[in-house]
Amino acid sequence: MSSTASQRALDYLEQLPGTTFTKLYQQPSTALAIFRRMLPHLAKTLVMAMLYMPTPFSVADLDLWMKPGNDSLQARDRALSVLQRLRILFDGQDAAGRAAYRLSDSFAKSLRLALTGSGNHRSFGVPCSTPDKTPVTVEYLDAFARKQWDAILYYVVGSASVGLGGSVEISPGTQQLLQKGEFVKLHGRSAAITQTGFTFLLQEINAQIWTLLIVYLEVSSSLQMDPVDVLSFLFTLGSLELGISYSTSNLTPTQRHMLEDLADFGLVYRRSAESTRYYPTRLATTLTSDAPALPNNSLTAATTNPSDPGSNEKGYIIVETNYRLYAYTNSPLPISILSLFAQLHTRYPNLITAKITKSSIQAAISSGITADQIITYLTTHAHPVLRRQQPILPPTVVDQIRLWQIEGERMTAWQGFMIRDVGSQEDYDKAVAYAEALGVLRKEFRSRGSFFVSRMDQMSTYFKGQVAKKKAAQAQAVAQGQNSKGNTPLGTPSKA
Amino acid sequence: MNAVDGTDRAGAHNDAEPPSLLTIILDTNPHAWSLLADSLPLSQAIANLLVFINAHLAINHANKVAVVASHSERAEWLYPTPTQPGQEAADLNGTFEPEGNGTSGGVNGNLGGPVKPLDDANKYRPFAQLEHALLSNLRKLMDTTTVDAISSVPSTMMAGALTRALAYISKQTAAHPGATANSHFNYSDPSSIAGGNDLSANNGSGSATLGLTTRILIVSVSGDLADKYIEIMNSIFACQRLGISIDVLKLAGDTVFLQQAADTTGGIYMSLDANSRAGFLQYLMFAYLPDQTARNHLIVPGEQEGVDFRAACFCHKRVIDIGYVCSICLSIFCEPLADGNCLLCGSHLTMTNFGQRPAVIPKKKKKKKKTLEGSVGSPSSGHATPIPG
Repeated sequence: MSSTASQRALDYLEQLPGTTFTKLYQQPSTALAIFRRMLPHLAKTLVMAMLYMPTPFSVADLDLWMKPGNDSLQARDRALSVLQRLRILFDGQDAAGRAAYRLSDSFAKSLRLALTGSGNHRSFGVPCSTPDKTPVTVEYLDAFARKQWDAILYYVVGSASVGLGGSVEISPGTQQLLQKGEFVKLHGRSAAITQTGFTFLLQEINAQIWTLLIVYLEVSSSLQMDPVDVLSFLFTLGSLELGISYSTSNLTPTQRHMLEDLADFGLVYRRSAESTRYYPTRLATTLTSDAPALPNNSLTAATTNPSDPGSNEKGYIIVETNYRLYAYTNSPLPISILSLFAQLHTRYPNLITAKITKSSIQAAISSGITADQIITYLTTHAHPVLRRQQPILPPTVVDQIRLWQIEGERMTAWQGFMIRDVGSQEDYDKAVAYAEALGVLRKEFRSRGSFFVSRMDQMSTYFKGQVAKKKAAQAQAVAQGQNSKGNTPLGTPSKA
Repeated sequence: MNAVDGTDRAGAHNDAEPPSLLTIILDTNPHAWSLLADSLPLSQAIANLLVFINAHLAINHANKVAVVASHSERAEWLYPTPTQPGQEAADLNGTFEPEGNGTSGGVNGNLGGPVKPLDDANKYRPFAQLEHALLSNLRKLMDTTTVDAISSVPSTMMAGALTRALAYISKQTAAHPGATANSHFNYSDPSSIAGGNDLSANNGSGSATLGLTTRILIVSVSGDLADKYIEIMNSIFACQRLGISIDVLKLAGDTVFLQQAADTTGGIYMSLDANSRAGFLQYLMFAYLPDQTARNHLIVPGEQEGVDFRAACFCHKRVIDIGYVCSICLSIFCEPLADGNCLLCGSHLTMTNFGQRPAVIPKKKKKKKKTLEGSVGSPSSGHATPIPG
């Protein structure tokens, strides 16, 4: 699911310092990309409603606007939480002194520029003024992107030597990056896949790109590359148009350096390293969208005819209730991925039959693949025939895969915060309800009057607000520090 | 073992919002816009509308938009640009597809339609393409409007525009990849005739299939739609059946039927006066931008307003409070028919005690008053229970 991709990017963005955000939001293309890709639906509605509002939006008015009911309340809290985490929304006061929300100035300004297309920021990419002497077709770009990206996947899956005629060698830079991201570990000269590598392989392609790019971002900041430059270039790439050449003239030196690396990943195409024009490939232009990253899924590339795009776009795997699995492919990459968790049976020119067995699943689990990853992979690549039903995969198979996993795993470890001594039972109930609405509640221990949350920042603002309210209420009475709170970071218990 | 009860199986797919198709019907009646020239000229309204369209497209990558102009004597597509019959059929659904038709066309030098947007690094290309197409089509529409056409027909082709919009929407819905068997409307199922609100609620719950949610926004400036009453009402009921909500933003004029349209289909109706017209953009962004998915969580404006349910008669196109309805075909007439034959279905209708109407009502009133006074005056009813109101 592509939402995991945006979740990863969101997690990365969140830990950036506030000044980075201010610099990031200077670029309208970045503001537009973050708006489109990272925000929940209701948050987008909220931002748009506030964009041309001259005054801050008071909290009371927002409450009036929302429908009462738990669902809406939860959606609102989630929207506000993401907006605040991305430094788009701030608390403020309106003219009457009531609590209100206001948009980040730089973000609002950039988004307005993006919508009206005014200003002179040139952040949506400068197309080459002169036509290319030998224009590059979209088909060629797709083929290039697929070749580059498949090479990376082959490297990770460790099947680079198996029947891959004329494949590209991936560059040493990319190899290093994959090792930095701990997708592979070097044992002497041969690379071996790790658990992160499995997670990476089983993701949907857009999520794979983001995963790799985030590793790239982390590495680049240690190489004295400005993360703002890197990020805004990535978001710009997402707003470019496929099949058009862009000029490198207004790129910063960092961004020019990035072009080389991105060409290795297959995100951009350049004829040579000195060329002043670059073509974004479909991998790049879909960075900030939900569209499929490659028209014919890379895994079925060998079976599909380029003249009928869309026939195999959706997937190739059929799973039956009797645990049999049919995969319409003849390319070695999906076959080797399938062989990670299914027992291959027969191979036909365009079809593989396999069976999901207890031993095959448990072998996969022992090598670090989780049941959820397998299920997500099967769902993402399900054949259109399977997609017509809801749920997509047979429930028996899904449940059995999960059961096979928890046979070996009796414990889950969460990192988080334990909150106790909240105060009266009423305070406790309110706090738990709030945590649940935020979606951070992991477990509550009602009898002990404590509960466990995965994120603390918003809970602490909530408690501060509660304390302030209490103090205001008890201003005339003798204030009692009864609603003291203790936050004990809980260590993660080791797996049994 | 709780983790395996499987209740979250389907829930995992609900996080993505279904894309939304917004069809805007812009009333371009030159008469009405010239009256608005002081408070909100057409050029400014178009600029605001473009920002609104861009905002709609920015919300979701798969969101689509279509604009129809309801001009004085015809309805015309503004976006997507209609193709000539000789051109490829594939260009007909040349909707908003950033990496679709426009791109490949650009490379091959074969653009779908006469649209060649300028290369501007300050504009997001899809926005620029849309703006260019919409403005050039609008300009073409205005250029081809003759003086005769304006002077002869002062009204607007709302019915034609609605029909075009509906045809486009059903085509897009059918072509949408997420369309599955159960997301299609079942025409043969009589139980699916329900209120517009119920239908739209169904759409929201069916979002797991990621079907296209569709709505129509009518930006209306002229009144007097009565001469197309039947056509408009038919389109409205078609929208209701298909679960398409019609939002109406009224800048000027007074129409009864658009308010009914919004009410029947569960859309938003707002009417702006000379003062609030300056805030056109903010009205659009605040009230009309949220799509069906967001409206599930929001209180939409204009729900409490009383709706004018008056109809127009089929014989003289007058808007009437009380009329005569054919008992066979339910046609509405403003006055009794001369020969007693229905104008539409030809059934012979008789009105036996029609002539007594003026005499009957005062009689009844008197009788009621008498009994009322009598009952109040009588001791049996008791003084302890006063009659309210």
